Amino acid sequence: MAAPELLSDEGYRADGRRPAELRKVRARMGVFAQADGSAYIEQGNTKALAVVYGPHEMRGSRSKALPDRALVNCQYSMATFSTGERRRRPHGDRQAGELALHLKQTFEAAILTHLYPRSQIDIYVQILQADGGNYCACVNAATLAVMDAGIPMRDYVCACSAGLAEDTPLADRSPEEAAGGPRLVLALLPASGQIALLQLSARLHQERLEAALEAAGQACRALHAVLDRVVRDRLREVTALLGD
Amino acid sequence: MAPPARYCVPGERLCSAEEATAGSGTYTRHGFIFSSLAGCLEKRSEDSGLPVVSVVRDAESQLLPDVGAVVTCKVCSINSRFAKVHILYVGSTPLKSTFRGTIRREDIRATEKDKVEVYKSFRPGDIVLAKVISLGDAQSNYLLSTAENELGVVVARSEAGVQMVPISWCEMQCPRTHTKDFRKVARVQPQFLQT
Repeated sequence: MAAPELLSDEGYRADGRRPAELRKVRARMGVFAQADGSAYIEQGNTKALAVVYGPHEMRGSRSKALPDRALVNCQYSMATFSTGERRRRPHGDRQAGELALHLKQTFEAAILTHLYPRSQIDIYVQILQADGGNYCACVNAATLAVMDAGIPMRDYVCACSAGLAEDTPLADRSPEEAAGGPRLVLALLPASGQIALLQLSARLHQERLEAALEAAGQACRALHAVLDRVVRDRLREVTALLGD
Repeated sequence: MAPPARYCVPGERLCSAEEATAGSGTYTRHGFIFSSLAGCLEKRSEDSGLPVVSVVRDAESQLLPDVGAVVTCKVCSINSRFAKVHILYVGSTPLKSTFRGTIRREDIRATEKDKVEVYKSFRPGDIVLAKVISLGDAQSNYLLSTAENELGVVVARSEAGVQMVPISWCEMQCPRTHTKDFRKVARVQPQFLQT
């Protein structure tokens, strides 16, 4: 896949977006009443659902309880109908395990776990439709769900992927662009600018890392603005419902 | 209509640490106070010192039993060495999911700890007021104690299924069959006594 196919002469990408443009984001909080917190997000055609339970007592082996912090337990699963061909195993395969570990790492950095010693916070994410940017959609959905559950967090966690077409960084790669070039996934805490997770696949020359990182950072901040609006709308809605 | 509340989101900088002290729902970093919850900003002025800034949510988030908190629990099983309980309320807030706790034999009473019999202090199904003394270690759950006058059995049913009436700190009587049962009874608060 040569770079010119990723970016047309006028500067448009394969799906008509500009290089720094994100796919359309729609999100809702509080979709399930029975869970402590839940959220649903659509980024383009990728649909992800996140559900949070906790903090509650450690289930299972109590020896894994941390004496000064809460344990964050994440599970990532893809619905059998999420990809083009029916998937046999929704969770339990290696990719799901790895992504669950990444989610755990990301949220342990953001949640103020020292407030809940010897307890457990469960985050379950499910991809309903996979169309590129699975991990990013999961992180964004889980951020909203954790906020919906009322668990204190340092900041939002916004994740976005970025790629490179020749020298132009592309934000929020779609699966058609996935074949060409290196891929960078960034999970950022926007207010402080701290990075919770940075993943790079394929090779990238170090001179081009800055540009790609900057593009991913900008995309995360744009996403933060969108998610912020969703959270504030939800706050207004909840306050109006309770008749304050 | 109340004035429109100011909404805060996690990561939003509220004020500097010199202007106010951090309350619940906030954290301090680099000399500034940031919000850690998505909710309404509340500024309470304390008489001594700086005002307290906190962020409150409409729905109460899960509270965890903390050391020194008085909890209401239900006895689920007893043993010659301890009683296992389910913690239902912390203070007056109900918990969404129950936590498990243990009351050891030596923590049931303050005096004559070696002469205590667990069977004569608690029975399964009793509602007990206890205080958290430890969050527990790798092997145990929350450790609770009833070694005070105001702690102990509050509600108990006799074998006939009727709620018993306390007659002393160690006995309760069934109003229907008039049989006396041994329990470690909590002292009734004076405002609840009918005279």
